[in-house]
Amino acid sequence: MSDVTYFHAIQILQDNCTGCTACVRVCPTEAIRVRDRKASIDPNRCIDCGNCVTACQFHAIIPSSDPLDIIHKFKYKVAIISSSFFGQFTEDISYAAAKQAILELGFDEVAEEAMVTGFMIGMIRDYIRANREKRPILSSNCPAVVRMIQVKFPALLPNLFHQEAPMSILTRYLREKISEQQELSDREIGIFLIVPCVAHVTAVHQPEGAYKHLQDGAFSTGMIYGKVREIIKRVQNNPKEIDTYPQGLTWALSGVQAELVDCEDIRALSVNGVENVMDILSRVEDHYLDQYDYVVLRSCTNGCVGGCLNVENPFVAMSRIKKMIKEGESKDINVDDLAELYHEGEFAVVPLAPRPIMELDKDIKNAIKKMKQINEFLTMLPGLNCSACGSPTCYALAEDIVLGKATIDDCVVLLKRHSKEDED
Amino acid sequence: MADYWNIAPGMESALKECFTRDVEADVTLEFSIPEKDFNNAGKGSSEVKNLLKRLGVDSEVLRRIAVASYEAEINVAAHSIGGKMTSLIYDDRIHIKFEDKGPGIADIKQAMVPGFSTADDLVREFGFGAGLGLPNIEKNSDALHISSEAGHPTLVEFLIFFT
Repeated sequence: MSDVTYFHAIQILQDNCTGCTACVRVCPTEAIRVRDRKASIDPNRCIDCGNCVTACQFHAIIPSSDPLDIIHKFKYKVAIISSSFFGQFTEDISYAAAKQAILELGFDEVAEEAMVTGFMIGMIRDYIRANREKRPILSSNCPAVVRMIQVKFPALLPNLFHQEAPMSILTRYLREKISEQQELSDREIGIFLIVPCVAHVTAVHQPEGAYKHLQDGAFSTGMIYGKVREIIKRVQNNPKEIDTYPQGLTWALSGVQAELVDCEDIRALSVNGVENVMDILSRVEDHYLDQYDYVVLRSCTNGCVGGCLNVENPFVAMSRIKKMIKEGESKDINVDDLAELYHEGEFAVVPLAPRPIMELDKDIKNAIKKMKQINEFLTMLPGLNCSACGSPTCYALAEDIVLGKATIDDCVVLLKRHSKEDED
Repeated sequence: MADYWNIAPGMESALKECFTRDVEADVTLEFSIPEKDFNNAGKGSSEVKNLLKRLGVDSEVLRRIAVASYEAEINVAAHSIGGKMTSLIYDDRIHIKFEDKGPGIADIKQAMVPGFSTADDLVREFGFGAGLGLPNIEKNSDALHISSEAGHPTLVEFLIFFT
């Protein structure tokens, strides 16, 4: 086991947890167990996908994002908005109004991920052409997907797109620009993200891989949504001139992003939803998708619009964003400086280390021994995969028993059978 | 029965013994492969892959095992009237056997030529039948043995070492 402690933006409120095991059953990496009627998350296994947050009916699993008032610690406050944000409002609310509302939450400047989408697409294509020997290149923007690869598909780590994500590039760009223009020191500038998911909150607090530039905090769309709606009512009567980048909103939609990268010499595939992502990664591992040059992988349905901290249904949000892309016109943005930085290798990121969770033992002989014990316990267990013991499946319980984390008495079904036998 | 062996020169006796020696495997996995069941074909090899991940087998070796076993599993589903896959796992290697109930391979040498295929239309409709199955298995395994004859069951088995 590793000695590193991983930060996660998910908290379990013990008082609210009923031990119902709904979260245990939806976790794609089998990171959650219920013991003594309370759920707990193994930080080594958790990839911050947010499935458990959505599944919990008792508000016991909640995302931890930062309180909005932390922005006041800084002299100059900047918000960077995730593209999915603009799909969260009814169609009578304009893109510009939604953006202006963020500004009036108390920021001095508002930027959006969408500003650099065009630049990202160019960079991705260039990177693919320069790295033809690694097929396919896997997108690295979704932090949950990157963690999934680290824990379950470490052989694919070299295939990740080893360049910074848009939010990270923007953070660096804005810091440099603002400190020069406003003559402020780094510590006086606060950069904050408005994010659709738990994984992005985690990425802010524990930057690694494609997220190497540190922000000062992350606010979830859901958390600020109420306030934003109120401000929108106000700003709709008093609109300001505000730049928008509808063509860049494609970043929030995994399918549309893939279509943009796809061209004569690059074949791109788009995959979303954590189960689909796992299936595709397994096939990439088997070299069955080597005909693709690029795979856009997003843990949430339809991409970032499906983030669990958004408020709108991912399909409705996607449809609205597509409408904005079709109808709007983007302000031109000069990316020459960014292109130069890219060619100087400034956006390159260090390869990530695996976080293997599957290995039973470092030594294969011991691992085999444990595997045999698991199989023995498995034959005793009922095979119902009911999760009533608090482990997701009978196999997981057998594994937990062998690894000393549970006992066979945790199996409720066996207990009932035995008590019935005793009565007879 | 016709036999086909692909074993590196000088290793014949040692590796043939690995195929035939009657030593109980540390872990055994068995899977049945019904005829033309493309919805489930591939599940056996995927299960083997997950098991080997738990044993900490090197990821590149794992990818070779996955490719070879997937190809062989699809072969059984596509070309035979059904069969089974048996994975015998030791602490230094895996030995996977695919035994079907027929109809057998008339000319094994020809079947080993990349691009040669007897796949029918249904099989091709599913995107298989490019004639790369057996050559791919050969390329990814450390030793391969095929035993067959027209009108008889076929045995395809291979060895892959962990280091």
